[in-house]
Amino acid sequence: MRKVFTYIAFVALMMLCSCDAWLDVKPYDKISEDELLSSESGYMKLLNGIYIELNSDMLYGAALSVEMVEIMGGAYVIGTDNSVWGNYADLAAYKYGTDYWRARINETWNKAYALILNCNLLLENIDKTTVRFSGDNLKVIKGEALALRAMLHFDLLRLFGPVYAHNPEAPAIPYYKRYSVTPNEILTASQVAAEITRDLNEARILLANDPVRTSGTMASAPADGSSTFMYYRNLRMNYFAVTALLARSGLYFGDKESAFKYAREVIQAGDEGIFPFVDRNLVTGSPDDPDRIFSSEVIFALSHSQRNKLFKNYYDPSRIPNYVFRMDNDLMSNLVFGGGAMTGGNQDDYRYRVNWVATGANRYFYKYSDMVDSGNIKNTMIPMIRLGEMYLIAAESCSENIGAGVAYVNRLRANRGVGNLQSLTEDILRYEYIREMYGEGQMFYMYKRMFAPVLFSSLSSKNPVPSDAVFVLPLPSSETDN
Amino acid sequence: MRRILAILISLFSICTVWAQGAQTVLKGKVVDASDGYPLIGVSVIVSGTNHGVITDVDGLYELKVNGEQSEIVFSYIGYEDVVKLYTQKNAGSFSRIVMSANAEQLDDVVVTGVYERKKESFTGASATFKTDQLKAVGTSNVLQSLKTLDPSFKMMESSQFGSNPNVMPDIEIRGKTSVAGMKEEYGTDPNQPLFILDGFETTLETIMNLNMNRVASVTILKDAASTAIYGSKASNGVVVIETKAPARGRLQLSYKGDFGLSLADLSDYNLMNAREKLEFETLAGVYKDNTGDPFAQMRLDDLRNERLKEIERGVDTYWLSEPIRPGFTHKHNIYAEGGEDKIRYGIGLSIGNVGGVMKDSDRRTLEGNVDLIYRTGKFQFSNKLSLNWLDVTNPTVSFAEYAYANPYYRKYNADGKVDRYLYYPEDGVDDYPVANPLWNAHLNNWDKATGFGFTNNFIFEWFVTKELRLRAKFGLTKQDDDEQTRLSPLHTQFDDMGETEKGLYTNTQINELVYEGDVAVTFGKLIAKKHMVNAVGGFNFSNNHRQIYGYSATGFTDDQFDAPSFANGYPVGDSPDYSESLKRAASFYINGGYAYAERYLIDFNYRLDGASMFGTGNRFRNTWSVGTGWNIHKEPFMQNSDFFSLLKLRGSVGNPGNQNFSAYQAFSTYKFNGWMTNVFGTGVILNALGNADLAWQETTNYDVGADLTFWGERINMTLDYYWKYTDPLLAVISTPGSMGVTTVAMNAGAQKTRGWEAALRVSPVYRPSEGIIWNVTVNATSSKSAYANIGNSFAALNESGKSSLVGTTRYYDGGSPTAIWAVRSAGIDPATGKELFIKKDGTYSFTYDVNDEVVVGDTQPKVEGLIGTSLYFKGLSVGCFLRYRWGGQVFNSSLFQKVENIGTQEVYNNQDKRALYDRWSETNRDAYFKGISLVQRTEKSSRFVMDDNSLVGESFNIGYEFPDRIARRMRLGAMNVQLTMTDVFRATSVRVERGIDYPFARSVTMSLGITF
Repeated sequence: MRKVFTYIAFVALMMLCSCDAWLDVKPYDKISEDELLSSESGYMKLLNGIYIELNSDMLYGAALSVEMVEIMGGAYVIGTDNSVWGNYADLAAYKYGTDYWRARINETWNKAYALILNCNLLLENIDKTTVRFSGDNLKVIKGEALALRAMLHFDLLRLFGPVYAHNPEAPAIPYYKRYSVTPNEILTASQVAAEITRDLNEARILLANDPVRTSGTMASAPADGSSTFMYYRNLRMNYFAVTALLARSGLYFGDKESAFKYAREVIQAGDEGIFPFVDRNLVTGSPDDPDRIFSSEVIFALSHSQRNKLFKNYYDPSRIPNYVFRMDNDLMSNLVFGGGAMTGGNQDDYRYRVNWVATGANRYFYKYSDMVDSGNIKNTMIPMIRLGEMYLIAAESCSENIGAGVAYVNRLRANRGVGNLQSLTEDILRYEYIREMYGEGQMFYMYKRMFAPVLFSSLSSKNPVPSDAVFVLPLPSSETDN
Repeated sequence: MRRILAILISLFSICTVWAQGAQTVLKGKVVDASDGYPLIGVSVIVSGTNHGVITDVDGLYELKVNGEQSEIVFSYIGYEDVVKLYTQKNAGSFSRIVMSANAEQLDDVVVTGVYERKKESFTGASATFKTDQLKAVGTSNVLQSLKTLDPSFKMMESSQFGSNPNVMPDIEIRGKTSVAGMKEEYGTDPNQPLFILDGFETTLETIMNLNMNRVASVTILKDAASTAIYGSKASNGVVVIETKAPARGRLQLSYKGDFGLSLADLSDYNLMNAREKLEFETLAGVYKDNTGDPFAQMRLDDLRNERLKEIERGVDTYWLSEPIRPGFTHKHNIYAEGGEDKIRYGIGLSIGNVGGVMKDSDRRTLEGNVDLIYRTGKFQFSNKLSLNWLDVTNPTVSFAEYAYANPYYRKYNADGKVDRYLYYPEDGVDDYPVANPLWNAHLNNWDKATGFGFTNNFIFEWFVTKELRLRAKFGLTKQDDDEQTRLSPLHTQFDDMGETEKGLYTNTQINELVYEGDVAVTFGKLIAKKHMVNAVGGFNFSNNHRQIYGYSATGFTDDQFDAPSFANGYPVGDSPDYSESLKRAASFYINGGYAYAERYLIDFNYRLDGASMFGTGNRFRNTWSVGTGWNIHKEPFMQNSDFFSLLKLRGSVGNPGNQNFSAYQAFSTYKFNGWMTNVFGTGVILNALGNADLAWQETTNYDVGADLTFWGERINMTLDYYWKYTDPLLAVISTPGSMGVTTVAMNAGAQKTRGWEAALRVSPVYRPSEGIIWNVTVNATSSKSAYANIGNSFAALNESGKSSLVGTTRYYDGGSPTAIWAVRSAGIDPATGKELFIKKDGTYSFTYDVNDEVVVGDTQPKVEGLIGTSLYFKGLSVGCFLRYRWGGQVFNSSLFQKVENIGTQEVYNNQDKRALYDRWSETNRDAYFKGISLVQRTEKSSRFVMDDNSLVGESFNIGYEFPDRIARRMRLGAMNVQLTMTDVFRATSVRVERGIDYPFARSVTMSLGITF
């Protein structure tokens, strides 16, 4: 009898021990976190998944590069015929409250935070992982994820936050630093700024040994067919991309000193050949096949396998009678690429010659049109941050007096095939931004930062007066209700 | 073997004779109480000595007894001891000794599926029903009958699906414990009770398919003391079903058949006739052109005149009769059983063919089962094997489409053919065509499913000693279902599509494999005649693996030839569906009971559950319960009175949990972002955010109750008061988008429920010995729930409810889950025809403000239950059960959507008659409803909240059990017939359309039972 009980007790004990393992069920039709993050390659896939998802139409695949935010930045002539232009007229009039735009803004918000959550899941797991990473990979993965998180928050802040220079203590957005099932509270713009800066600084330290600093962008596959993970550094949030983001955010937060410091560091890297200015032969030498995005200057780009959709869906003149996005003719010929010393505009500008192609009476924007050489990595790039912006940041932040920055602008212009400016004003700087960054989703943020009228047209009466109603997007209702 | 045994027995007997020296010889036979079958190997011992014998193969014994008086003890494992005093004079009474198995009489035993306990010494709240009781009130399925027998067991009436035999009902015991959102999100009903069939967990569908004639008993376990043994699955209550075990004896064949007829109950439909509909349309301005175009007005006039002409010709089509039919049901069960003490066997075959009241609505089942019981010495092996096959078809055009069709259209054209459209606008007219429901119904469309299942349950029992029993169980179920639908390319749904995209075929395959094992030790002993100790301890594990595959195909070009291979291809951008879930659970449990002199009872349960669905942080959970009881009728001071045969007070507390949740909600899962890869290869992103800290939903459950039987068993009462506190609730909550997900499963708030149940059975005539009993039963149940500590967690649900057209459920602290929220209405202002609202502060206003919402009713009735009577007179039995509901309200959506709120789209559908009458106008200022308008939106107000009191004739039956002599004359063992009518009438205080997609049915069934 006693034996029986002993035996039963023993079996029970055995079962209890094995229970936990037995109950640890892994789904087959989904990838469980434990399984995914049990190896270095799992982390790499997750990180890459975030990069890929940034190409979503709700983010930099359209809304935050060529479409929504660029319309808000006044880049395009928007017609009034609803059957052609749909809801775009509402957006150009900054009617953020319509059902359509509320839903669209909501989508972008949700998607951005969904990717922030992915970053946070990666970061939280990598901090406690026992997986052994080869080389410097752990630091690189962690650094990139941190920087991506900061970048997404920064763009959300620039959309939904207050006009920073006027009202840094106004409530802006929540900053999610870890995965949580309870909502984080909304922080003020300056608190968010501090978080962004902190994340970027930490990322920069983690990426200190980024091979981009020694070997450049390595924008081609390794010859031996080994892992591409540490190649194509310009398609990743590399050390200089983080530095450039610090420059961009520093300027936005009014910290000109750091903005200048970081911009200079990237410019220095450009000078060292890591991000060389575009070879003018590639631009002007073969007009059929120009490098329209000046790929060598791009510090960080997304890689979108169907990037020509950006052209086909928005800029292609063959879209007519459907809507086509293009710049106002007068704005282009009188101010942006004309207007002489007052604007610095010149039709010799490479940025005009290769990117703006005439069809009929209008010129259309070809930046995202594929190079003939199909399959070229350059044809997949959506620039997120580029060297030109660093020159402009440096020009603006080198001194309290904007005029002092003219040398930086001239250095850039020299590589754009146009002559020197005699002096620099805020107006001219804005035109330079338009010329350099058109179609990259940065103009709205620039106007917001400077609290300047958005240039839809050469007629100032057609351009909206700067106001919070123009520059501050309303938070999604899911945020305010819950 | 048997011979050796006989020799041994006789040897043994001889030895004892020698040893003792004879004085008196007691001779007799020991038989089983249930079937009179002899029991072999019963030990017959003179108490206080070790002198005794055991019975032989025929159950016979001879015992020599010394002295004048001695106590003789008959004992047999698994049976109650029989102790008889021998006094020299009563030797004759020893000729036939009847022994009952421990758990034989179901009346007195509570079967929990894990252990059995005498009802008298059980402290939980439970109800047990035997097959006769179940069959008397209904024949469709076990659950349908349970609903009529126990008011705490509720089958939710589905206004949408009516009496569709292929839609599984929602079932609740003692109300809901879970917040909405879970079923929608995960497809599992979180309020569904646990079903146990022959000791193994099973599904609702299995129980619904189970032929009632196979059932021996059903026990409903309600409170913590009775359910806690099932731990974290038990908070919704447990339904324990035992199928019949084969009886001993010569081979016996029995047949049971049910033959039923159901008819659709369309009395809740109150649709307009042709003339009324046209008048309504005219008043609503359908035939008035607003653009000022004279040609358009002319066309509309023509259209109206055309319709009017048709009406004058006598066209008044009653569309509702088209899709319905008398539903014939027949079910048969044949069971052959037999065997002797050692081996018993039963082989059964059941066929069921349920015809619904809509055409093409069938449910055919075929079930075969083999039961084997082998008993040798201290071991018993029993095995139940069943195979089932299911074939289901559903109508492809919903009933609603017929209800929408206007009565001024003809069904058939002049040639007697079905037209594609009832109305097709001329070219250039901006109007929609009206599809003919008969057209879509006459096409070669189908919606069908087949299933095949296999279940084998094996139980091994070792009766180690009289007190100690070891039981091991293993059950395996494999179920494969295949669902297919097909829509013909001629279906009007595809009218706007290209020729090669028409038609649709979908296929879904569901494969399920479940296994469950259990090892338990049971101990039961009466110590010193006063201390009854019972204990059960065991280990249980289960594994449930389910895979679903599916795909669809389009591009059929022909109506007739419907093989999937004729499809043109897959829908563009469609990928195959695949999902899989694996749920595992492992548990240890222990139950103990102690009774002192059968008077003071105490029970406890403890269970440790581990489940794969719960996060690593919360993988294991404890369930406990304590129950106490006091059998007052056993007290010495009550012994003198025979008045009470049962007077028990009991109380229990425990914390059973709920596990009806999705398999992986505690874990974060990832997926490939398959739409793009890059130079770095593939990427993965989050698919679903898990909540590793998700706590198990648990319900602290208090119950106090009393069981009374008195006045010579004529009055039987059970009273229960319970209090449930579910904390935390587990809910799917919508979150701020900044969390990165839009919904998350989390713990939020609590729910408190209080309620009582009472069941009374009075027998004004009680002469069981003559077979004459008249019973009157009344039972009632009532409960009230409220949310607590939910704060703002459900703000999003509240907001969407407020902005929706009909949503009247809100989630606030203190609010009832069943409350109806709406703005109070003072009615229609006679002067203006506008609705006058009452604001929160009591002032009146013509403007509707959703923030003035208050509770204007509660769908939970104050009290509901059944009143029944049954009469047994010799072989004849008559029963009648009425369901009553009182004190609840309902938001009358028929009035809200089919009288008011008829928009420019809905006006083309046929509507409730009331949409035409009692409408406000200059000449009818005292109307209850607003004036006819197609553009005015009516908001939810108390005007549409009505008292919902009802009385339903749920079951009427009459049966006759043929007396033995007649049965024998017919060369039958036994024979009975019964006629059952269900849902015969329905009297309600409110008229609401029910059975939107499928009508409700009334049915009558003739049942026949024959034993050969």
